[in-house]
Amino acid sequence: MAKPNPFLALSTAAMALPAFAAPQPVETIVAIKATTYQEEDVPQRDVLAGSDERYKIDIAQFRLLTPVGEKWSLGVDVAYETMSGASPWGTIMGADGEASLIMSGATIRDKRTEVSLTATHHGESRSISVDLASSDEDDYEARAVSISGEWEMNNKLSTLSLGVSYSSDDIEPTDALRFGRVQREEKISRSLSAGWAQVLNKNSVVHVGLDVTDHDGYLSDPYKLRDVRPDEKLEWALSLKYRRYFDNQNAALHLDYRYYNDDWGINSHTFHTGWHQNFGDNVRVVPNVRYYSQNEADFYRGTDDFGLATTINQSSDFRLSGYGAYTLGVKLIYSALQWDVSLSIDRYISDKSYGHDASDQSHPALLSFNMTSFGLNFRF
Amino acid sequence: METYQFNFQAMGCPCELRLAAADRSLANEVAVICTSETQRFESKYSRYLTDSVTSRVNNASGLHPVTIDPEVAAILDYSGVCYVQSEGLFDITSGVLRQLWNKNMRRLPTDSELEFYLDKVGWKKVEISANEVFLPIKGMQLDFGGVVKEYVADVLAAKARSMGIEHGLINLGGDICIIGPQPDGTPWSIGITHPTEGNSAIAVIELSEGAVTTSGGYERYFDIDGLRYSHLINPETGWPVEGLLSASVAAPTSIVAGSLTSIALLKTPEDGIRFLEECATPYFAVDQQLGCHGNLGEVCHA
Repeated sequence: MAKPNPFLALSTAAMALPAFAAPQPVETIVAIKATTYQEEDVPQRDVLAGSDERYKIDIAQFRLLTPVGEKWSLGVDVAYETMSGASPWGTIMGADGEASLIMSGATIRDKRTEVSLTATHHGESRSISVDLASSDEDDYEARAVSISGEWEMNNKLSTLSLGVSYSSDDIEPTDALRFGRVQREEKISRSLSAGWAQVLNKNSVVHVGLDVTDHDGYLSDPYKLRDVRPDEKLEWALSLKYRRYFDNQNAALHLDYRYYNDDWGINSHTFHTGWHQNFGDNVRVVPNVRYYSQNEADFYRGTDDFGLATTINQSSDFRLSGYGAYTLGVKLIYSALQWDVSLSIDRYISDKSYGHDASDQSHPALLSFNMTSFGLNFRF
Repeated sequence: METYQFNFQAMGCPCELRLAAADRSLANEVAVICTSETQRFESKYSRYLTDSVTSRVNNASGLHPVTIDPEVAAILDYSGVCYVQSEGLFDITSGVLRQLWNKNMRRLPTDSELEFYLDKVGWKKVEISANEVFLPIKGMQLDFGGVVKEYVADVLAAKARSMGIEHGLINLGGDICIIGPQPDGTPWSIGITHPTEGNSAIAVIELSEGAVTTSGGYERYFDIDGLRYSHLINPETGWPVEGLLSASVAAPTSIVAGSLTSIALLKTPEDGIRFLEECATPYFAVDQQLGCHGNLGEVCHA
């Protein structure tokens, strides 16, 4: 092998010095990503009425990140989703004494467009971002604004981040009159976040984050036959992240944990670990595992009770039931000088028995899905 | 737009900032940040200050490891690459050999003295983990003199740029970073000191971007028995180097330019020039017969 040019060898090594780690983007990044999300069908025996076909979502994403002048950068994100399939409308006690599903009948088709604009000002040792986002579906509109900042301190060994956001959502269910659904409702969400990242040494970083979100308004699912939820929810989450780079292996370990709690009675734990293995300068393989577990909400019911007054909270939404879930995934990234190509495949399975609270009732709609993404990044 | 000049002493050498700004207050603000940043580096890395990280590591030699932060770790990593690229000549542990070669010695060292100090030299002996460094032999020393000053010039240029300076020059004792051309668009002219005629220039370099550094064996020297010895010492033999009288390199960053000039000077004149040619980056070198080499700058004719 030819001896590398000392000038290039030293220039490459110098780039690792803190002064040359540019905080603001110096290049423009254009990225596109295509994702297919496919839920597995519900077993026919669990469906009392309706279709057993569940959601399939195709997502196309576009992202542009570009510096504007020396101190600003602008990001534009656009996502377009098409959804088809059926969703659970409710549950009822089946002939065998187990909960049976009432699914929506004919295939639902919908599309969603989300656009967000982010402007960031990069200062000496801090950056401030303002983000405006909007999401539109046939029956749902969301508008959000957020402001966040990052401050580097202790010689760049620590980073404090703070953020606030506000969103306003409008829902106008389709076929409202035909099915006796609400016609128009709104919800407001406000959240605060704070984080502290600490460089422990040249190979490891730890991050602690706290988020508090308050939702106010119509929080029920208008498509379910009987779904009555409180019109307020206060949730908070604590997250811990640890990153450790291993020189000898040319690899990095990511360990994440998140604890979540809300005043609907749900506690959840999420563990996510990934091993980022580099092979040479161009190839990275990232196998990762995620485990999630929650207990059921206070007003969760395995089967809908139409005998209860409509003022009494109840929901048979499987997302409010007690369950656990595993996601196994692998991501492959190939990087050339200006290009990155990535492919990721994830498999998600969930079940009541994986959850941490054995007393919870099971739900037949707990799902499994497969997700495949293909992405291209171009830098110039 | 006017160019404001600030001169100060730091890291054992004269330092100069030339900052073009619409008003004096911005230039002043940048100068304050730059001088305080320089002082921060000096107090952190100087081997003369007892509470510097360098002194803490050196005083713990042969005793125990010392915890270091990511900046020190990154500079150590970079120094390790210099060691490899120079095939062992650029060694930040070689400073201890100055005990044998200095103005006060007035005699050549004996073989046993050489052996005693050479035992305390060697980058490969240094034990570095993720956040600790340990010099395993009592009396070993790190000296960041050949790395930090060059790096600080880059740091100051980046600071000045981030504060809005678009035309300027940072000169830390010959390690020069350029922030764009002069306000009128013309490049900055940098004189290369004549190795034997102290106050005149042997060549002039014109530069609008990037960095240029110059090292010379003529800068510091001493005489023993009528012979002149350079302050640059070969860490393998323990003897002063008889290399190029002066070398200048232009590169995008001062730290890389500085490492290349230092490495070139530690070699024999022929090897030094071969090394600079191999790097394929602009250079200017003066050999012992005052012959000029390289493609950087215009040679001044007397």
